[in-house]
Amino acid sequence: MGHIPITDHPVQKYGRWRAVLLMLAPLILAYGLPAAGAGKVLKAKHPVVRVDFAREVRPILANNCFACHGRDEKKRQAGLRLDVRAGAVARRVLVPGKPEASLLIQRVTAGSAFRMPPAVTGKKLTPTEITILRQWIQQGAVYKPHWAFIAPHRPSLPKVKQAKWVQNPIDAFILARLEKEGLTPAPPADRYTLLRRVSLDLIGLPPTPQEVDAFIQDTSPNAYEKVVDRLLASPHYGEKWARMWMDLARYADSAGYGSDPLRPNLWPYRDWVINAFNRNLPYDRFTIEQIAGDLLPNPTQEQLIATAFHRNTMTNTEGGTDPEEFRVAAVKDRAITTAQVWMGITMGCAQCHSHKYDPISQKEFYRFFAYFNQTEDANRADEQPTLSLPTEEQTKRIAALKSEIAALEANVAAMPGRKAELEAKQKELASIQPLAVPIMRELPPDKRRKTFVLTLANFLQPGEEVQPGTPAAFNPLPPGAPQNRLGVALWLVSRQNPLTARVAVNRFWAQIFGTGIVETEEDFGQQGALPTHQELLDWLAVEFMDSKWDMKALLKKIVMSATYRQSARVTPLLLAKDPRDRLLARFPRRRLDAEMVRDQALALSGLLSQKIGGPSVFPPQPEGLWQAAFNGERTWPTSTGEDRYRRGLYTFWRRTVPYPSMATFDAPSREVCTVRRIPTNTPLQALVTLNDPAYVEMAQALGRRIAREGGASLTERVRFALRLVTAHPPQPEQIQPLVSLYEQELAYYRTHAEDAKKLATDPLGPLPQGMDMAEQAAWTVVANVLLNLDGVLTKG
Amino acid sequence: MDFEMERARAITRRTFFGKTGLGLGAIALSALLGPEVLAQGTGKGKAGVGVNPLAPKKPHHPARARSIIYLDMSGAPPTLDMFDYKPKLVEMNMQPCPESLRKGERFAFIKGVPNMLGTPFKFKQYGQSGTWVSEMLPHTASIVDDITLIRSMNTDQFNHAPAEMFLYTGSANAGYASMGSWVTYGLGSENQNLPGFVVLISGGTDPTGGKSLWSSGFLPSVYQGVQCRSAGEPILYLNDPNGMSRETRRHSLDALTRLNQWEAKQLGDPETVTRIAQYELAYRMQIAVPQVMDISQEPKHILEMYGAQPGQPTFANNCLLARRLVEKGVRFVQLYDWGWDIHGTGPGDDLMTAFPKKCKEMDQPAAALIKDLKQRGLLEQTLVIWGGEFGRTPMNEARGGSKFLGRDHHPHCFCLWMAGGGIKPGFVYGETDEFGYQIVKDKVTIRDLQATILYAMGLDPYHLSYRYQGLDQRLIGPAGEAVIQKALFA
Repeated sequence: MGHIPITDHPVQKYGRWRAVLLMLAPLILAYGLPAAGAGKVLKAKHPVVRVDFAREVRPILANNCFACHGRDEKKRQAGLRLDVRAGAVARRVLVPGKPEASLLIQRVTAGSAFRMPPAVTGKKLTPTEITILRQWIQQGAVYKPHWAFIAPHRPSLPKVKQAKWVQNPIDAFILARLEKEGLTPAPPADRYTLLRRVSLDLIGLPPTPQEVDAFIQDTSPNAYEKVVDRLLASPHYGEKWARMWMDLARYADSAGYGSDPLRPNLWPYRDWVINAFNRNLPYDRFTIEQIAGDLLPNPTQEQLIATAFHRNTMTNTEGGTDPEEFRVAAVKDRAITTAQVWMGITMGCAQCHSHKYDPISQKEFYRFFAYFNQTEDANRADEQPTLSLPTEEQTKRIAALKSEIAALEANVAAMPGRKAELEAKQKELASIQPLAVPIMRELPPDKRRKTFVLTLANFLQPGEEVQPGTPAAFNPLPPGAPQNRLGVALWLVSRQNPLTARVAVNRFWAQIFGTGIVETEEDFGQQGALPTHQELLDWLAVEFMDSKWDMKALLKKIVMSATYRQSARVTPLLLAKDPRDRLLARFPRRRLDAEMVRDQALALSGLLSQKIGGPSVFPPQPEGLWQAAFNGERTWPTSTGEDRYRRGLYTFWRRTVPYPSMATFDAPSREVCTVRRIPTNTPLQALVTLNDPAYVEMAQALGRRIAREGGASLTERVRFALRLVTAHPPQPEQIQPLVSLYEQELAYYRTHAEDAKKLATDPLGPLPQGMDMAEQAAWTVVANVLLNLDGVLTKG
Repeated sequence: MDFEMERARAITRRTFFGKTGLGLGAIALSALLGPEVLAQGTGKGKAGVGVNPLAPKKPHHPARARSIIYLDMSGAPPTLDMFDYKPKLVEMNMQPCPESLRKGERFAFIKGVPNMLGTPFKFKQYGQSGTWVSEMLPHTASIVDDITLIRSMNTDQFNHAPAEMFLYTGSANAGYASMGSWVTYGLGSENQNLPGFVVLISGGTDPTGGKSLWSSGFLPSVYQGVQCRSAGEPILYLNDPNGMSRETRRHSLDALTRLNQWEAKQLGDPETVTRIAQYELAYRMQIAVPQVMDISQEPKHILEMYGAQPGQPTFANNCLLARRLVEKGVRFVQLYDWGWDIHGTGPGDDLMTAFPKKCKEMDQPAAALIKDLKQRGLLEQTLVIWGGEFGRTPMNEARGGSKFLGRDHHPHCFCLWMAGGGIKPGFVYGETDEFGYQIVKDKVTIRDLQATILYAMGLDPYHLSYRYQGLDQRLIGPAGEAVIQKALFA
């Protein structure tokens, strides 16, 4: 009731007064148009409200009518469409200006048998909804095209009262809305909070104590900007943002389905993504190389590896399967994922029938599919075609062997004794097996496939043959663009494309603020949520394109804003008025992602490996999980040395047996593209960070770090530990419970040597010289608590 | 109508506080962090009010069942050798398959003209219902008057992983929510100290479809199935670290709670309060789960009734566990028993040795489960389902000229039985042709089965939905062709 109307829930947003006013509308109409004077009086008291088609009318029609009176020609009843105006007007379903004469109103208010929507649908319009429809027809029954399907233009900046607060244009848009709602932004976050927040956001790791000190001591006016620049230049920046992209690319180290065979040959693609973020590859090139790097003139090895984006589709080699069925499934996945990742369009619906809500017919789906239907790969167990990727060592050895063999071959006739040596070298050369990275490769022109509309999406029921093409409702293929995947890529990054830039900036926004400006990041179509701040979204999108798709510049703009730098403190007023913080009158707190939970704990414990890239690794997981796998590899070869302590990004990702602690923290299986992780807060998560031996090991290491670096006295050590894990100066209320806990547990472990040894050393290993077993057991208990603090698991 | 939206918003804690009509959003923070919440962590451990997305929810209509136990025969058992008796097929044993049956058909492994395969096992009628059952299932024969046998199940998938995904998630493709997730999303769970959706595995391996079969898909992960194990930790990471006593864990949680409460006061984030409650719930689970999983507490006659032996990951143990779990209010218990893929490529998967062995492992515990639920008065409120993901051919597969007997994958028809939860006792539904090749009467599709199961739980299958990718996603798929099979209910 007292909530601020948030624009993404169209019908709910209407306050009581608005509904009352709408109810009055028919009364006014019944007495004819009010006299000019009366109208003015009425206007002065209650401004005449113009019904907003997109926010109010369209959702009613879409939810109740479009399934049978929309785009899907096969399901269309009575030949009537309500998603376009002309036909409805011609048939007097809509009589502009005359709601009671309109069949639409007659039918939605009719007695049972005649009523729309029919009873079998279980749907029924509410009186408010009917009133909105009446009002809309009264006002002319005007349709407006869907906002997201019109290319964005740079909006002018709104005027604000509290102009001093504005750090950059983002703030103007946020503040204008807050002022409209009678809210004020939160005060700035303290510097400790801000540093931890921006470190986690940009590189996915907490600041070190040295970094905290340096920032606090830096009194220069651009101290914060210097930190932002440092983080954007860090090699860990690429790791953090590659994590996001891995979900979209459905990257995994296995092929999926039944036996889920391993794919130990795709990690170079993951490294390509890390590298692309680190060298700030513009988003348009980032797009083109992944979708069609192989079709660029003289593609580099890197550009070919980039095309593995679409080789992350699943392969089904289960006995008795028809490879063509799963080749077609993979090609569909590529078409659907492309539309989903770059345009926020849910194309999958159109594989069986024309999309009921968005302008994509079934035929258009298969025309888009046709672009992806010409690659050589065909659900093969060996994942051909692949790119041979020898290591540096292998390259050297191959060159050496080749020249030695050439020399021997020249001499072998003269010196028959060297024959055995020659054979040995040849054998060695053959035994060198470079990594074979699956890539996209187009079929030769004479082997091109024909593409058909597949009836009910079934590959055994081809219908009409189709030619490649993009959906007609969007921008055309740019002039000169080829009719292949490269053309698709150019079409996506064309300035005329209404969605690509919006979807991209919205995604970065959501990563930082927890929720997108369009909450349904996966759906910018007509059923998706409406943006809370459309002008801001458009401003960011245009700015992004104008900056030549510079991702680091976009992120810098966001984190430099006053909006970003607000405190996260929730006041009762804000909780009451905007519980979900969609208007950003404070910074939204959010639990860390699965990978970040791990990475942070490793970093705080001092165990984290700084190594970037390379084959995926096998940190400890409970025994026997892979033994339950259906066929295929059953042994999890636990990594040793620093590979035990790599960032979560590098953990071997088997689709049917996900790494359990990450799955518990909402990481997806990556069988298909995942646009959004929905964070949950469950007891199983508590069990992971309390009891998972990997986290116990981190607690042990943290405990040893406290003893090593934390000073001499107990209080000093507790202070050090709190400051380390929270990046804040500790408060007495935090120190005291931990001191008591330590003392209590120390007393216990002094008299329980066997338990002390287990808790202090299993699984991390023997204590270093000079450390006391009981003390370290007690410190492990404390460290275990520290790694489970809400403030540690949360980005605040 | 608002059901799904309400549920959708109840999922993230942040949302929950704003939208549930508890008015929490309007209550001052001091009340939010009021005595009952702030008093937690002292060892008494009471969850915060209304903060659990698994809290029980009212069904759409009066429910016939409170809990579900699904006995999945992973790999697809040859029900022609168990329930669907075909004398004509026996007559035609080892004669070439008539052209009419092969026309336009697609098989997974059969090549050329196969021979018909009549069942080598004897069938008899049992019970007052006179239901035909094979000699392989003497115990199941003793419960025919308690079950409904459906002989006309139909699917449109015939490879294991896609068929299992279609059955459990409503889509042959990955990424959808499983039946157990849908049910706990719709109804919550009645015991907050145990997971609402439990998965138990036997047969030595996961089902072919893997963990996707109990994934929450696009639903929040709080609704995903939790695998409980008979050996080792019953739930991953349930045990405190080595060398940490329960007292130490309690002390450490008390300290953690004090620090988190202090933080909640500083920042006022309701999510912090939820986290405090979830840690307390985890602590209680650490006690409740091992207790319920410890079947050695059962009397000897019950263990013998099931053929259960504590400590083994067997189907018998899992049946007994399933009863213990629903007794404690768990909403959905899903068993997967691998090993029913009777192709006849060798002695490991043939009809004469592998199949009788599987029957022996399954028959007694499945029947015991029904009898045990019945004698405790639990059968009425528990829906038990037994079945695989598709059928098997009336023809002998003879892959690569194999001399072993076996049947290929067959999507057109198979048998499945249900009991309890308002299902008719002693009832046989549906009929296949004289070869058991096609359904001739009362077809029940996978979508019908899904709709019927949800209906029994008091959920409206057409309206149990979740908005994702612009669509109101449902277990029964986007189109409306699923039929609630009301004929199955008493």
